[in-house]
Amino acid sequence: MRAAALRYPALVIAATAFSLPTFWVLVTSVKKQSEFSSLRLFPSAPEWANYQLAITLADFARFATNSLVLATSYTVIVVLTSALVGYGFARHRAPLRDQLFVVVLAMMMVPNVVLFVPQFVLFAKLELTNTYWPWILWALGASPLLVFLFRQFFASFPRELADAAEVDGAGPLRVFVQIFVPNAWPAFAAALIFAYTWVWGDYLYPILLLNDANTTLAVKLATAYADPHGNPLQTVTMAGVVLYVLPLVVIFFVAQRFIIRGVVTTGLRG
Amino acid sequence: MVGATRALERPAVARPAWWRRRRTRRALTFYAFVSPWLVGFIALGAIPLVLALAMSFTNYDGLNLDYIRVVGLDNYARVAGDRDALLSLQRTLVFVGATVALGLVVQLGTALLLDGPVRGRGLFRTLFYLPYVVPVVAGAWVWKIFTDPNGGLLNAIVNVVDPGFAMNWIVEQPTTVLVLFTVWALTGGGMVVFLAGLQGIPSELKEAAQIDGAGSLAVLRHITLPLLTPVILFQVVVSMIWSLQIIQQPLLLAPGILRGPGTLPPQDNYLYIVHAYHEIFVQQRFGYGAALLWLLFLVTLGLTLVIVRSSRRWVHYEEAQ
Repeated sequence: MRAAALRYPALVIAATAFSLPTFWVLVTSVKKQSEFSSLRLFPSAPEWANYQLAITLADFARFATNSLVLATSYTVIVVLTSALVGYGFARHRAPLRDQLFVVVLAMMMVPNVVLFVPQFVLFAKLELTNTYWPWILWALGASPLLVFLFRQFFASFPRELADAAEVDGAGPLRVFVQIFVPNAWPAFAAALIFAYTWVWGDYLYPILLLNDANTTLAVKLATAYADPHGNPLQTVTMAGVVLYVLPLVVIFFVAQRFIIRGVVTTGLRG
Repeated sequence: MVGATRALERPAVARPAWWRRRRTRRALTFYAFVSPWLVGFIALGAIPLVLALAMSFTNYDGLNLDYIRVVGLDNYARVAGDRDALLSLQRTLVFVGATVALGLVVQLGTALLLDGPVRGRGLFRTLFYLPYVVPVVAGAWVWKIFTDPNGGLLNAIVNVVDPGFAMNWIVEQPTTVLVLFTVWALTGGGMVVFLAGLQGIPSELKEAAQIDGAGSLAVLRHITLPLLTPVILFQVVVSMIWSLQIIQQPLLLAPGILRGPGTLPPQDNYLYIVHAYHEIFVQQRFGYGAALLWLLFLVTLGLTLVIVRSSRRWVHYEEAQ
């Protein structure tokens, strides 16, 4: 009983500690720049103009569009290929299938950095740097994590479902599209969000593969906004950060259930 | 009906032939479905891995194949004399130890607090989970602003108990900020994994212990934690592998204006992987960098094996009935 009484104070303290840093970004984003370094903790009046400046000062729309185009093309392709591959592993028997699946799992564990260096050399030799092609190629090759997610999901479908359709003479692709896909939308939702979030949030591959013109919003926002004299404008930067994160937070609130189920599937059963 | 009669009329030998055809068809279907991954694995997985290994035995500079020369194990031998590599490895191990330990406590702690009927469970879970949704670039800004010497909240809070306290955290205590940032960002994922694990523990076990007079701490220690050890092992291994490889977080926490991969973090956050990337993408030492990365892979593998071996002593597996 005594331990139970401590639960709520502990939860409140932990939740406060977790939220304070984020809360501070929101507060800073509506401060006047002159108030940033002053002793005044909270703004005298919310400075909404920071949000307008965040959009106009940095060509926000252009880099947001770059991010959107890159993330959307990657996501659509990678979810499609990963679903097909995951379905193959889950529902079709063939020689070497289990060995190949071990390779999928092993690739989830190979450090990305080890793979990226030779990939970078290949992309450079094929003159694919400064283009979005590397992401398209990665997507076409499916993502081991998403393959695993779909495989776990499709494996749990009842057998009779596919058998009935096959008896009716449907080909394998039709069985997949008409029977499995419509019943798998929680997995598709999780996969779409994972893939999209990954590209939207990634900083490293864009700085190494893209250039100033076609790079993503993440790269642009890594650098602070500055006034004409080169002094950093932290308040405007925070407004930009809020705008950048907002879509992901909205997606999270809409699809919380699927996201968490996806994290648990790929996390617990790896 | 027609099909059934025909099958009956057929001699017994026809059956294996029919099976074999069906098996071939099924196998072809399987390979058709997995072909995107198979092609991708060969082109973007297997070939790069072989290239990465081959590269590590050469002096490759990433540009010119004319001057490429096989240097055998020289790159690997050179690491022993590379002070930056050795010191950064040491820093990395300290960072990984702190992150994994603190991360485990926070992830498990929040999961335990939220297990069972808790009022406001959804709200608390969301608050703990949200940082996991925040992309790394934004997360770095969150911590830079929170710890800012001028406009940051952290110093303001410390000032309540210690007036006049002033610290430029990302310059003076960069690794502390890096650890907090990483733990804060990772908690959500680990927490939901632990929550799922906690739901898998049969409540009869806890109730039986409570009827026998065990307090909640005793139930935690003798029932919940032992049954959770497989999940703890998994979570420790995953976060260790992950934190050995983090590079974006230290690069983004660097003070001042970031200029691509060329901006280096302060010395305390100059981790092993940062060193490898610096050697490769800034110094153009692709061969040497590849060797550094393979050594990190070996370190990762070694540490994983050590943890998995030690787990025989502390992980409790339920006996099969």
